[in-house]
Amino acid sequence: MADRAALDEDLRRQLLAIVAEEGMVKDRSFDSDTRLDELGIESADFVMILMAVEEKFGVYVPVDEKLTEAKTVGELLAVVAGHIEDHRRQVSS
Amino acid sequence: MRPVAITGMGAVTACGVGVEALWTAARDGRSAVHDVSFPRIRQQQVKQAAPIAPEVYERLAAAAKPRFQDRTAIIGVAAAREAVAMAGLRPEDFGDRCGVVVGSGLGGAETIEQGYNRFIESPGARGDVMAIPKLMANSTASWIAMDFKATGPTLCLSTACSSATQSIGLAADLIRAGVVDRCIAGGSEALLVDCAFAAWEMLHVMTTSRCRPFSRERNGMVLGEGAGIVVLESMESARARGADVLAELVGYATTTDASDLLRPDPAGATSCIRKALESSGLSPSRIGYVNAHGTGTIANDLAETQALRAVFGDDFDGLAISSTKPIHGHALGAGGAIEFIITVEALRAQMAPPTIDFLGIDPKIDFEPVPNVARPFAGDAAMSNSFAFGGINASLVVALPRGEG
Repeated sequence: MADRAALDEDLRRQLLAIVAEEGMVKDRSFDSDTRLDELGIESADFVMILMAVEEKFGVYVPVDEKLTEAKTVGELLAVVAGHIEDHRRQVSS
Repeated sequence: MRPVAITGMGAVTACGVGVEALWTAARDGRSAVHDVSFPRIRQQQVKQAAPIAPEVYERLAAAAKPRFQDRTAIIGVAAAREAVAMAGLRPEDFGDRCGVVVGSGLGGAETIEQGYNRFIESPGARGDVMAIPKLMANSTASWIAMDFKATGPTLCLSTACSSATQSIGLAADLIRAGVVDRCIAGGSEALLVDCAFAAWEMLHVMTTSRCRPFSRERNGMVLGEGAGIVVLESMESARARGADVLAELVGYATTTDASDLLRPDPAGATSCIRKALESSGLSPSRIGYVNAHGTGTIANDLAETQALRAVFGDDFDGLAISSTKPIHGHALGAGGAIEFIITVEALRAQMAPPTIDFLGIDPKIDFEPVPNVARPFAGDAAMSNSFAFGGINASLVVALPRGEG
């Protein structure tokens, strides 16, 4: 939960928009607790989401264990945000 | 199934030209993976692959027909020549009783890339007139047939990472069905070009660190390129011409997940491994070594472990299992043949090559795949697996020659 609390609101909003857009989610009323499978997000949608994250934030997110285990939108956001923050730290140092 | 003789093998990989270079690198855990640069990719995220060394390729190209042959065909023909020489085939052994079954995932990737680039840069200029015959997926198979005057059936399976494994299996089926006496079979793949590499990057299945199959902290695969070719013959034909039989192909199966294009389904892999073993008539305890598909992705390694555990049951823990992909890279449509060749050599040497860069057991899969250093095993049979995008599974079982009986 610490990860989620640490996720700043602006980044959260941007990532939710990516999930909705790239996951081709019709009903936009989902939140962090919504399960990815409820949104119909399959393997191909996952790849689209990662690609959009790479384009927007310049960070490559490999499909690692944490990402594979993400079952909800919030869990997915936490993993992706972690990579973005690591990347920003690396760039600034 | 009735055994089919393996009498010749050939390989061109990042480990060098020849089966010996491939096998010793695999056995000794010497990786051919290194940093690669693709200048046309604006922000190259993945920085490693296992390409064939430039001086090696140039030597092969000098002895080939580069105006008419893509890189895929050049390395494929070179591997076939080694396999045919090892088998000791004479001109009269080809003809319409010899088939060619050689697959490729993408075909002539370099020709496609160069062709589009040239077309976009100067649309009115003359392009590569030979582009179509160079890039077609069956080009390698057809050049091999022409090289040896093999006038039986030529087939090209393009089933991604299962192409070569299915090709070897299908070639054995053709021989057992009596369609041909012998077959040149395997796969060739050469797609380490900017555009194809960028496309692979976009799938996010490649690691940015090290490829470490089955290990904790694994996060993806590493690409390679190469060709692997074997000569298969009916036992009768091999004996009739007094050929040395390296090993016998005793089992083969292929199944389809029919569930997800990218995500493997353990049920599909399980049914494939089980059917391959059943077709060999061997009990699980007879298998001493498994060369796993072991890509190093979370999903493949988990599904493959579940499948192997389900089929081998109590024998799973005593089995030597490894993935050699961190050594030669994932050569996709050629991968199955390259790994089949390593499997045959491992069986003959009774030595399981290591899974290098293994950090420790992943509790989710809970096993150790011959970590980091080769390990002797005792067993007269071995297995090689391939699981492809598209949900296509293929497994081969080989056994030491049983002599005249």
